[in-house]
Amino acid sequence: MTIGIPQALIYWKRPYFWETFFKTLGFKVLLSPSTNKEIVEMGVKVADPETCFSNKVYWGHLLWLDEKCDLIFVPRLKANEEKLEYCPKFFGLPDLAKILVKTPILTETFDERKEKFEKTLEKLGKKLKKNGKEIKRAAEAAFLKERGLREEERQGFFKKIQSKKPKIILVSHPYNLYDDYVNLRMKEKLEKLGAEPIFIDEIPISINQSNQHKSASNIKFHWEFGKEIMEKISQVLNYDITGAIEISSFACGCDAVIKEFVEKEFKQNKIPFLYLMIDEQTGEAGIQTRLEAFMDTI
Amino acid sequence: MKKPIITFARWGNYTIAFKTLFEQLGLEVIPPEKTNSQTIAEGAKIAPEMYCFPMKVTLGNYLPALKKGANTIFMVQNVGGSCRQRYYGVIQEKVLKEAGHDINFLDFRAAPKDIYSAIKKISNASFLQIVKAARFFFKKLRLIEKIEKMAQYYRPREIEKGMTDKILTESFSKLEELKKEKDFPKLKREILKKLSEIKIEKNKDMPKVALVGEIYTVCDPTINFEVESKLGREGIEVHREMDITYHLKKLIFPWKDWIIQRKINPYLKSTVGGHGRDAIYEMLHYIKEDFDGIIHLLPMSCMPEITVRPILEKIHQESGIPFLSLSLDEQTAEAGIDTRLEAFIDVVRNHHKKKKL
Repeated sequence: MTIGIPQALIYWKRPYFWETFFKTLGFKVLLSPSTNKEIVEMGVKVADPETCFSNKVYWGHLLWLDEKCDLIFVPRLKANEEKLEYCPKFFGLPDLAKILVKTPILTETFDERKEKFEKTLEKLGKKLKKNGKEIKRAAEAAFLKERGLREEERQGFFKKIQSKKPKIILVSHPYNLYDDYVNLRMKEKLEKLGAEPIFIDEIPISINQSNQHKSASNIKFHWEFGKEIMEKISQVLNYDITGAIEISSFACGCDAVIKEFVEKEFKQNKIPFLYLMIDEQTGEAGIQTRLEAFMDTI
Repeated sequence: MKKPIITFARWGNYTIAFKTLFEQLGLEVIPPEKTNSQTIAEGAKIAPEMYCFPMKVTLGNYLPALKKGANTIFMVQNVGGSCRQRYYGVIQEKVLKEAGHDINFLDFRAAPKDIYSAIKKISNASFLQIVKAARFFFKKLRLIEKIEKMAQYYRPREIEKGMTDKILTESFSKLEELKKEKDFPKLKREILKKLSEIKIEKNKDMPKVALVGEIYTVCDPTINFEVESKLGREGIEVHREMDITYHLKKLIFPWKDWIIQRKINPYLKSTVGGHGRDAIYEMLHYIKEDFDGIIHLLPMSCMPEITVRPILEKIHQESGIPFLSLSLDEQTAEAGIDTRLEAFIDVVRNHHKKKKL
């Protein structure tokens, strides 16, 4: 049996985790390819015109997988282990996916306000007719893989922060940062301009490190990414940073809120800040010009 | 500390009731300006670009009141569950302060205890006074909702066109001026009598249309371009479930949510924030009641409503009921909405006629 996983949106919240989990359980996994023009066009055609660009891309991936596999995995992410919520648009994903594709949808609700993550994984495994032992093993393998990845990122960060080049922090959601088609190869472009781009995701949160930086606004988000972004920003401000760029997908409701506070945080510390919005019509030339201009200012 | 002069978020005709609430507490109130294209433009100018529409509207409403001397703003957060309404207060406070307004922003959670303590702190009113003010507030609120509902019935049936809206406007201004609770029953009788004296065609057969969607846009006639009365004047009976009482009832009695969830299970298995689930529930309910059309109102890129819109469209395709989704923002023009409404009215009439054959 083949399980399809759309390589967009929620996939990037836990990259490689789900693949490893299902593979260790003994299923074939079909991952949709990296985002390309065709996928985006497919998604934009079927999506609600006012939904955010990231969602439109996700629909494209779903349509690509349709009828190529036996099940498509669309988890319903509701709250993480800190009991903070995910974007409300994630709540309805499996239901909307059901309307869109003919292939049956495999789903489970991950709400850690009610249930531990491992417990939900077990339920998910039971749905696929696997026993507890197998599920536990698969989950462990997946967690191990994830931990390795985090450690790699951490070391990468400390290497990058030592760099002599101007260091630019890219603030955004993982599904905008890691998807090269969506963010128009922002990382590559910045590197070509002689900068050292650092993703906000790579910044490790260390608890023991004394936090000299004081936040400009003490806002408490009920969104996990909101809290994470604010924490990581105040963490990274302890280092010597040259500039910051926030990338936001068009019509993203949460970013409209977060942007205000991210901007304030950087501006208060006199760090140049650039806000870029991306959607299906963003041209590469436009982004290139803005990036060049931004690099000239710093 | 300066003497607090209160202003608050405007919300359609319910503004009258809110104004009374603060006045009864012995506070000085400058009500927010009535929504018009000017206030919307002013609000949108200083608001974050991608934020949802009601936030820009209410922000625009504060500005004239602040100019007149108001210095304290009341805002309730957490009305919509998971949605962005939670951050209205913080964002509004931030942008107003950045625009150079020296204000005291009271932003509290929509729980009875928090509201009570916030009111107590600002007004120094006694417990009894607060209870009395709340009672008067609810009386006015219920009456406003009642005459809005009655108007929905009278408008399409009236013989002399425009009579209902005239009486409605008169009643609202009288209600706004009413300061003493003991005069309330008399005014209530008067208003209800006037409404019941409107000459109507009793047995007129007419199509029925329901309004579903985001609570603020559905309830505030000034930002939805008076969809309700426009349809009414065209001889269509309009229904809507959304109002403050509905929302409060849901806050107090959580099982209403469970019932809704059970009804919509085939379509959506989770909350999506705001009143996303309610829109689906209402649409299914109105289809069962044999309505001839559904209008879905939402602010542009409202997160919960956008999530459920594909589901509503699917229900529309399955059942064949005419469906129109209108998203509103500062760039929506009345002429555009009118054209779409006119076309929709034709579809609704045809649907109604076909059903009778």
